[in-house]
Amino acid sequence: MKNPLIRRIPRELKADWHKYIVIIIFMVMMIGVISGMYVGHDSMLSAVYTGRKELNLEDGSFELSKRASQSFIDDISTGEMADVRQYYIDKGNKEADKEVAEAIEEAFAGFPDEVRETEEYKKAVEEAYEEAHNTVVEKVDEEWGEIVDRYNLDEDFKPVAISVYENFYRDAAEDYNNDGTEDATVRVFKSDSTINMASFNKGRAPENDTEIAIDRMHADNVGIKIGDSITVGGKKFEVVGLLSYVDYLTLHESNTDLMFDAFGFDVAMVTPEAFNKLTARVHYNYAYKYVNEPEDKIQKADYANALLKALITQTLVHDTEIEDFLPEYLRQASNFAPSDIEHDSAGTSILCYILIGVIAFIFAITISNTIDKESAVIGTLRASGYSKRELVNHYMSMPLIVTIIGAVLGNVLGYTAFRTVAVNLYYESYSLPTCHLVWSNTALIKTTIIPLVLMFCINLIVIVRKMQLSPLRFLRHDLVRTRRTKARRLPSWSFLRRFRLRILFQNMPNYVVLAVGVVLIELMLCFAFGLPDSLSHYSKSAPDMMFAEYQYMLMDSKDEDGNVIKTREETAETFSSKNLLYLKNAATLFSGMGSGKDESVTVYGIADNSEYVKLESETSPGEGYVSSAFMAKFGLKVGDTITLHEEYENKSYDFTVLGSVDYDGGIALFMGKKSFDAMFDKEDGDFSGFFSCNEISDVDEQSIATVITAEDITKVTVQLDHSMGGFMDVFKYALVVLAAALIYLLAKIIIEKNEQSISMVKILGFMNTEIGSLYIVPTAIMVIIFAIAGFAAGYYLMIWIFQLFMLQMDGYFVYYMKPISMVLSVVYLLVGYAVVSAIDYFRIKRIPMDVALKNVE
Amino acid sequence: MKDCFLEIRELKKSFGEGEARQDVLRGMNFTVKKGEFCVLLGPSGSGKSTLLNIIGGIDTPDSGYVSIDGDKLEEMNERELTLYRRKHLGYVFQMYNLIPNLNVKENIEVGAYLSDKPLDVEEVITTLGLQDHKYKYPNQLSGGQQQRVSIGRAVVKNPDILMCDEPTGALDYKTSKEILALIEECNSKYGSTVIMVTHNEAIKYMADHVIKLRDGVVRHNDMNEKKISAAELEW
Repeated sequence: MKNPLIRRIPRELKADWHKYIVIIIFMVMMIGVISGMYVGHDSMLSAVYTGRKELNLEDGSFELSKRASQSFIDDISTGEMADVRQYYIDKGNKEADKEVAEAIEEAFAGFPDEVRETEEYKKAVEEAYEEAHNTVVEKVDEEWGEIVDRYNLDEDFKPVAISVYENFYRDAAEDYNNDGTEDATVRVFKSDSTINMASFNKGRAPENDTEIAIDRMHADNVGIKIGDSITVGGKKFEVVGLLSYVDYLTLHESNTDLMFDAFGFDVAMVTPEAFNKLTARVHYNYAYKYVNEPEDKIQKADYANALLKALITQTLVHDTEIEDFLPEYLRQASNFAPSDIEHDSAGTSILCYILIGVIAFIFAITISNTIDKESAVIGTLRASGYSKRELVNHYMSMPLIVTIIGAVLGNVLGYTAFRTVAVNLYYESYSLPTCHLVWSNTALIKTTIIPLVLMFCINLIVIVRKMQLSPLRFLRHDLVRTRRTKARRLPSWSFLRRFRLRILFQNMPNYVVLAVGVVLIELMLCFAFGLPDSLSHYSKSAPDMMFAEYQYMLMDSKDEDGNVIKTREETAETFSSKNLLYLKNAATLFSGMGSGKDESVTVYGIADNSEYVKLESETSPGEGYVSSAFMAKFGLKVGDTITLHEEYENKSYDFTVLGSVDYDGGIALFMGKKSFDAMFDKEDGDFSGFFSCNEISDVDEQSIATVITAEDITKVTVQLDHSMGGFMDVFKYALVVLAAALIYLLAKIIIEKNEQSISMVKILGFMNTEIGSLYIVPTAIMVIIFAIAGFAAGYYLMIWIFQLFMLQMDGYFVYYMKPISMVLSVVYLLVGYAVVSAIDYFRIKRIPMDVALKNVE
Repeated sequence: MKDCFLEIRELKKSFGEGEARQDVLRGMNFTVKKGEFCVLLGPSGSGKSTLLNIIGGIDTPDSGYVSIDGDKLEEMNERELTLYRRKHLGYVFQMYNLIPNLNVKENIEVGAYLSDKPLDVEEVITTLGLQDHKYKYPNQLSGGQQQRVSIGRAVVKNPDILMCDEPTGALDYKTSKEILALIEECNSKYGSTVIMVTHNEAIKYMADHVIKLRDGVVRHNDMNEKKISAAELEW
């Protein structure tokens, strides 16, 4: 015989549909939004990584001053260094021979031919050639020595074979509104390229010399559509496609640009014929791919170093010059977006954990409430011989079914509507390729498996724990383990006031649940309001966090001629810097909670008596002051030892923390210049750049890698705000809905638990308004108290959670809430409760009097 | 003569501690034979419900024992007690404790599901006079009808012992007599031993065996020689 209790389940779902619908909505929202974010995120990343293979992304590129000869291509493809010394000796000897011959001719111009036959003559000529050749060798050796030193050509060298591809481009002027003025710079590539290809988001590749395909994001930003006509390099083109180049996922014009510019820069594809007709200078850019793929980051760096050496020597012997050399792993335009997308999931994870906590709480109170309500039934069934296991199975089935319904609907939404929202948010930020839906294990585990397991465990624990009570206690509704034996004495207030107070005392256990719920609601609201606030706060205060108005990063401390770069700017001060990595798992406080990826740390060598960074005392090698952000993010203390390591080498350095420098703008370590030089084997006088109060105009632009100004910092945060802001809005609205759902559930439970008493006071003749004031007012007072206290708890909890969130991201910014957001967090809850109270009032009106009179189990 | 089926020996039970300690059962002794209709009579606080709960295996004594068909309850672990209740007992409470979202027939099936030798559900429904109500939910029934369902749920198991805790306590005179008649019929028709707790003195006249309790001890333990039917009862 089938267990007849099974038949209760659909009926219970139907009878208590509003409770279950709220739980299902909660689950659907949570699973839908978070799963959508993860699926969108994973789909996008998969599109990027698949694109890298399918669209043949380079392993790096170099640009030459002129078109490379076939012999150069052949030589560089082997990866071998050229014998530059011999090349120059041969070349020098040739010139020297010519000069010596001319000198001899001139010297013996009037002499008879017989002189040339003499032994003395022959010896003198031989000696002249020998001396000239020796001089050549001496000179070549001297210069070669310098080159060897500068480029470390004497180190161990292993050739790295490559395949070379032409990837020429022209930087032309783009006039997208055809008004005769330049609106942007467009980098034009040929459509027949077999490396660094493009995927088309809309339209197609150009087929004739009047057609062009341009970057999708640039087109969106400036309002170009397919079919529009734009002027490029003075020629009119019809836009036939919107594309995303695999090596331009962000529109970085130069690799040293701190931030990309999708308005002022564009990339485009034209036919080879159209390319040839353009007049802008051709950039002889060659992309390369390694014949044997490097295995890891360190090998990538080794390969790039070896190739650079080969390139330097081969260009010398082939009489050409390197204009640019950029290994792909350092390429901003292809790496910025994926690395940013990877970090985006951190916010989703945190929200996911908060919501899982809320779900767990809802399940716990729901099942506990169900068991309280069904107490007599459970007692009877147990007394009749139903085993605990049978009842546990029975009471487990409903929450399981509800969770499964929520999970299925949530995943369907997550893989459809919410995924589209997430993907569109990415498209708003980056020039990404067309993305196809991929299965996300992370989404399934975090949004479905974990809540299901959690729900299963919580329900199991609550039910099994309750089932330990004897059948008799269920029959007597005696489910509380400890009971107050003495009644509280109340002051001689009015009857209604005392009655209300009694109701308040009687509902204390329910209010404890309410308090926990309110803290969770406030936590959600603190997340919803605080994250955008923190971003904008960081954005606003970022300029104040700079050491100096201008921070110049140089390519080298010496110019091309080997002279030390100097400036007449009086406020300029040199500094040294180096990027190292800090192992996140080394953070003791939240060990294992980080993303596992290492944190990038800028180590600064600061001049003595610096005007820009004040160090409390002198440092020795192996000692340093960390930025306040570094200190806060990883909970460092004075005296701690931290280990930083090189990203592309197997080298690490230990530092003792001497103190902190008040700098929230980044994860940095500061040490005296001398200690810096000693620690990193730098020559005396070597430096990386200048801090300056004013703009420096007397340093050759070629020598400057980057200039960081307040505007650049703001650009970064505006971009951050733009890319994360969209997520924040989705989260915010979802969380407000979820908060409303939770307060509804909590209030409903309190009224349900008081149903019998309410029914009784109705019988006694109390009016609905009086009953409302008796049962709603105490709860309202508690909600107000809890809202304020809960906000404080939620706020501090959020600060703690934010700390964890930061560990998963690079950099640091503090959690911040605007005062108005703080007020709104409380007001939203109270407004939500006011609406719920109105619903409660109608609920109270509907409670029939026979609840107290009849046993209508 | 029927064999001794239920044996109660030196049963003691108290609640509370120190000054608040209350001895509810203070050494109780009696036996009940198989198939007997036994009534436990006594005023409030005499310990009759506590005794019933201990016999039913849902409460435990401080000392003494309950033996059913030779098996001592105190020697059973929790699982064995559950099995004991499942196989041998049917429970009828003063409050009917029906499952609200199961209809009459399904509520009775809840009992049938537990038994290896259940009675025919339809037959029980007919016996209880619930044919016209079998698809109704508990809140669509009167108190008497709900108690019939509760009896049906207990009887359908075909239990060895039918435990009834004030089954007519919440019912009017007429309905009470109908319910008592049903229990009587179950006793005679299905041969279940009935142990009924009540404070209604009139009910003793329909019992085979009457045990009067006061202050936690058996005051009278009599066999009823002039048993009458439930229909003849008056109070």
